[in-house]
Amino acid sequence: MEEKSASYERVVYKNPSEYHYMKIHLVLENADTSISAEEFKYLIISGLKDLYGEVGAAIPFDVLTFDQTALSAILRVFNSGLVKLWSALTLTGSYANKPCAFRVTQVSPFLLALSGNSREMEV
Amino acid sequence: MVRLKARCVRTNKLFFPCFVSFLDGCGACVYVCRYLLCEVCVSQRSKLQLLEEKAIFQAVKSAVAKAHGEYGAALFSIGSKVTYLNAYTGVVMLRFRKAFYQLLWSALPFINSIGPQGRKVPCFFNCIYVGGTIKTCQKFLVRYDRQQLYRMLPHCKTGAEKQEVRRAVQTCSHSFYKATQQEDDDDDDDDGGEEGEEEETIVL
Repeated sequence: MEEKSASYERVVYKNPSEYHYMKIHLVLENADTSISAEEFKYLIISGLKDLYGEVGAAIPFDVLTFDQTALSAILRVFNSGLVKLWSALTLTGSYANKPCAFRVTQVSPFLLALSGNSREMEV
Repeated sequence: MVRLKARCVRTNKLFFPCFVSFLDGCGACVYVCRYLLCEVCVSQRSKLQLLEEKAIFQAVKSAVAKAHGEYGAALFSIGSKVTYLNAYTGVVMLRFRKAFYQLLWSALPFINSIGPQGRKVPCFFNCIYVGGTIKTCQKFLVRYDRQQLYRMLPHCKTGAEKQEVRRAVQTCSHSFYKATQQEDDDDDDDDGGEEGEEEETIVL
């Protein structure tokens, strides 16, 4: 019996996701400062409002997880608002009149991709 | 030089005789712009006399800054200008860069007063025309003002007012209208070969 040769199909997975997920963490000058999830989101919104005004403050985004000890969070944002949110995060420079900074660790259209980080992998 | 369209060169030579030397020298920025013809609507028409170019510029600037933040204010700061203001009819012409005029335009409905603190005139902006050149805006404005005269006629109370408006209508519909029509025809002959919207550029 003749074996049927394997047929290959090239599948291109065009990004169907309408969201982008961002893993960020906040760096504060005073490491002891505690910040709640609400304050964290408010800080991001005020950053958006400073840079993009009231129109920018209305950009929909969600804080999916927030770790109060490490001050890291996962944000979900529509693709159309990603660039604005990212730039607002970059330009946010102070929290309660103290210098602060947002570090964007990972950005991906798939939430699963944020479960691991190849840069922190130890082989 | 940032951007230059072949068909704009002719216009620029007309408006800026030094345009070529601009290009030869340092890299000048050439912007394509859009002109927004807006009507300033106020409750009392006598308040229109208080309008100034500077006050309108400030009002638009603060509205843009409020709606679009520092990003909007930065976009506004390059190439924006109040080109024309008619304090009698309350018509204002604003110039924006073409690339961002829609963003800046979106802030105009948020203007609700013009003027310095204490002498604020409550008003709103009504955009009546968007043009690529001052000339097309002017043509539209002449047509628009003529229509306004016709609309004014039924609202006249005294006979003298009616007579005055009628006289104004007649002058513009005979001599001036003919003159502009003639000019329009000449223009059409000139740029008959061109397609699309007319554009003009500014050198900053």
